[in-house]
Amino acid sequence: MAEGPARVLAVEDAEEVEKEAGHGSKITVVPEGAEWNAVEQVMLQRRSIRRYKKAQVPAHLIRRLLEVARFAPSQGNCQPWKFIVVRDPDMLREMEDYCVGQCRKLSNGFDYATLPRGSLKYRIARIKAKLLGRLQPNLLHPVPVSAATAIAQGRFAVFHRAPTLILILMDKRGIGVPPVDIGICGTNIVLAAQSLGLGTCWIGFSKFLNESRVWCERLGVEQPYEVAEAITVGYPVGDTTHLIPRETHEIVWFEGGNKQVLY
Amino acid sequence: MALLSSQERRHFPDWDDPSQCIFHRVTVDLDKCDGCKLCTLACPANVLEQYGPKGRKKVRVKADARGCVSCNNCHAICENGAIQATRHYDFVGYYRQLGRGDFAKPRMF
Repeated sequence: MAEGPARVLAVEDAEEVEKEAGHGSKITVVPEGAEWNAVEQVMLQRRSIRRYKKAQVPAHLIRRLLEVARFAPSQGNCQPWKFIVVRDPDMLREMEDYCVGQCRKLSNGFDYATLPRGSLKYRIARIKAKLLGRLQPNLLHPVPVSAATAIAQGRFAVFHRAPTLILILMDKRGIGVPPVDIGICGTNIVLAAQSLGLGTCWIGFSKFLNESRVWCERLGVEQPYEVAEAITVGYPVGDTTHLIPRETHEIVWFEGGNKQVLY
Repeated sequence: MALLSSQERRHFPDWDDPSQCIFHRVTVDLDKCDGCKLCTLACPANVLEQYGPKGRKKVRVKADARGCVSCNNCHAICENGAIQATRHYDFVGYYRQLGRGDFAKPRMF
């Protein structure tokens, strides 16, 4: 029989190496029903915060958030991110105005729920929405559309008047699925922020900035980068750390030759 | 059998039909609500409002409410546990929710 390819280091070998090196690590099992540890608690207490105190977040804390972001896992360790931090109130206000304008454009003549039923405008908007919704079912989901309308009507803000905004830019040449890496990177930011007593909110509408040559130039967003997401940072109004109920999700579990469905 | 029927996959819900876009399912325990208004601040969809006479104010979902995403920020900020979203939003057709179980607080395993 021909000799096979060189054997990769098997699990048994790894344990052997560990023993030989003299630091055979023990497995510590957290007992069933144990209290939430600090990391779990931070994850469970994190809410998307949309009401902030006026106080600015000290710069060193923002640096701290970006430091943990840097150590997020990414595909092939490609780290396809770049950060822009905006803490200038005038600039934030102008950014808000621009994005509100874009929301108005998205909502007007499109969100037929705001138009008088049966009117010509209503019928045109409805046809447009149904057609485009089919092409862009994620962007034109009823939830973001109603959010855009709320923003257009001034009932809701884009950047929530937070004192600091972190824009996460994505290098489009990233390995595999770079938006996933951006999500993981941002998760490091929001969880670290929660642990430091800061509130955060993901702002998807920040992607409107890519559509403006003026803003791209001002912010320095250029190929191969694009604004992928933004995170507002500030001190939250109120104590939002009470644990909340949320729906369970189906879990399919294969073990011992059986398939189970858990919730 | 497919999770979504071919008919469902083709049906995009009407945004202005509450029977196709089911948004808010928020319950307020009026005995516990002290009308402090914090939840109206925390609500991202801006669907909550204060009502009632001075000193005995309570909170409720606005009549024309649209857009509650069951985030339960209202519950998270409430000192008295008086308010909570009890079901997730759901849609008819293409966006129908799949594989969701009952609401539960974090469970310790």
